[in-house]
Amino acid sequence: MADKRPAFLVRRHLNKLRWVSLTLVFAMLILLPYLHIYQSFEAAHAYDLLAQSEKRIFDVMETLTAPFTDDPEEDLDFIKGTTWSGTFWGFKLSDPLAAAGQAAAGLNLHWPFLITALIPVLLTALLGRFYCGWICPATFIYELNSNFASWLRWAGIKTGNRQFDKRIKYAVLVMGILLSGVTGSVLVAGVYPPAILGRELYYAIALGGFGSGIIFFLATLLFDLLVARRGFCRYLCPGGALYSLIGRYRLLRIRRDVKTCNDCAKCDVACEFGLRPMSDGFGQECNNCTACIAACPTDALSFTLQPVDGPAQGPGHLGRHFRRAQTDANADTRTEVHGT
Amino acid sequence: MERRNFLMSMVAAATLAPQEVRAALHRPSIRYLRPPGSLAEEDFLATCINCGQCSEVCPNRCINYFGFENGLKSLDTPYIIPREKGCILCMKCGDVCPTGAIKKVERTAEAIIENVKMGHARVDEQLCLSFQGKTCGVCYRACPLQDVAIKVGRLEQPHVQESCVGCGLCERSCIQMPQAIRVIPDYG
Repeated sequence: MADKRPAFLVRRHLNKLRWVSLTLVFAMLILLPYLHIYQSFEAAHAYDLLAQSEKRIFDVMETLTAPFTDDPEEDLDFIKGTTWSGTFWGFKLSDPLAAAGQAAAGLNLHWPFLITALIPVLLTALLGRFYCGWICPATFIYELNSNFASWLRWAGIKTGNRQFDKRIKYAVLVMGILLSGVTGSVLVAGVYPPAILGRELYYAIALGGFGSGIIFFLATLLFDLLVARRGFCRYLCPGGALYSLIGRYRLLRIRRDVKTCNDCAKCDVACEFGLRPMSDGFGQECNNCTACIAACPTDALSFTLQPVDGPAQGPGHLGRHFRRAQTDANADTRTEVHGT
Repeated sequence: MERRNFLMSMVAAATLAPQEVRAALHRPSIRYLRPPGSLAEEDFLATCINCGQCSEVCPNRCINYFGFENGLKSLDTPYIIPREKGCILCMKCGDVCPTGAIKKVERTAEAIIENVKMGHARVDEQLCLSFQGKTCGVCYRACPLQDVAIKVGRLEQPHVQESCVGCGLCERSCIQMPQAIRVIPDYG
């Protein structure tokens, strides 16, 4: 018998890589506040005066960083911030929404800051909403929340799965930018989950307690759980809206190979964003998260480089609908042959 | 009658000096400082994106963040309460600030005196021990700009100079309760 083991396809495993990426980003958001606490202890030169719990933080962080640095007080400044805006070895990166919100609030273009959003904007133009699927720390929690919801459904508890208009988030984006401009303060940062989560984790660990933003974040979790699956990301997130717009003509897209698709609809179920990969319905909302690729049993989904989605290709050639149509067509030709 | 007088004077003040009344209405109830090198308050609010890096880089951990207590516009913006913890003028927050809401200031006495204006310390001579005849001088010793920002006279009585930048270390260190020296914020 021939070896039936399928070939190893990198794209089938990208979804795992994505989880690694999400976990790393989230872990960094937790580690950085502790590193900062450690730095401030180092700066104070007062190990003996620390409380027992503080000594524990000091010891753990010293063990973690000792192989890499002799002067933690200065060297550990190399990485600061969150996904909203961060500094890596003096190189600054910011969320495009931060740049948009700040330009609106100040009613001027402050180039040194706008430039820090350039690389994310370029990457988004090429790769689409990859931030939402691969980096966003809120996505990490929201996807876990989404998995939790499917456990609840498995246990017989109903969770919300209402559908809204996906264009609501563009209205939220416009309102957020407008209100930032009118009030002269970057208010849009207060309704953007990754920014909130980055801040609140820092407040909770280094400043002694969560701030007010965590209430908003918990509300979005409940919204996702009780009203609509991934509802905030799909319908309300202003950052997601901005990324969607920037990535509208992205180059990297997921494409369905109609010849190997068998219409099983697993991709449609796997898609966190409620898109329809099986009917070639990706559009600007797709964040290239590769969950549908990983779910596809016939490897019919793969990446392609095109600035627009291809046309709808109809039912998959391995599927029931297509084969029935085929048999009917064959039958028609046979009767025609008989007729003559 | 007294209330009427008061109301009349309020109305008079409102009509005569709307600018000052408006300023009084908007004056924050909390006495806080912005990080060293911050822009004037309005510009600061418009420029700060609430990224939290200034606190994350502060070796003294003196920078905290507002909730709703100072109004919606101040949500998640940095502040310093000098009595709790003063600023040690390390100027790292200006280096890390991505938007320039906190200006970059070189860490030299001249540059700091020139560019930093968080506030100005003021001594309450009724409370200050040195002014009451008991030699103290703690604020003078806590000051990072000794003999420039604070000069001492007889019995180490502190005399705050024009070049005080308002870092708040004197207020933090004052051994009187309530503190005899406090920083009056300067929001630009």
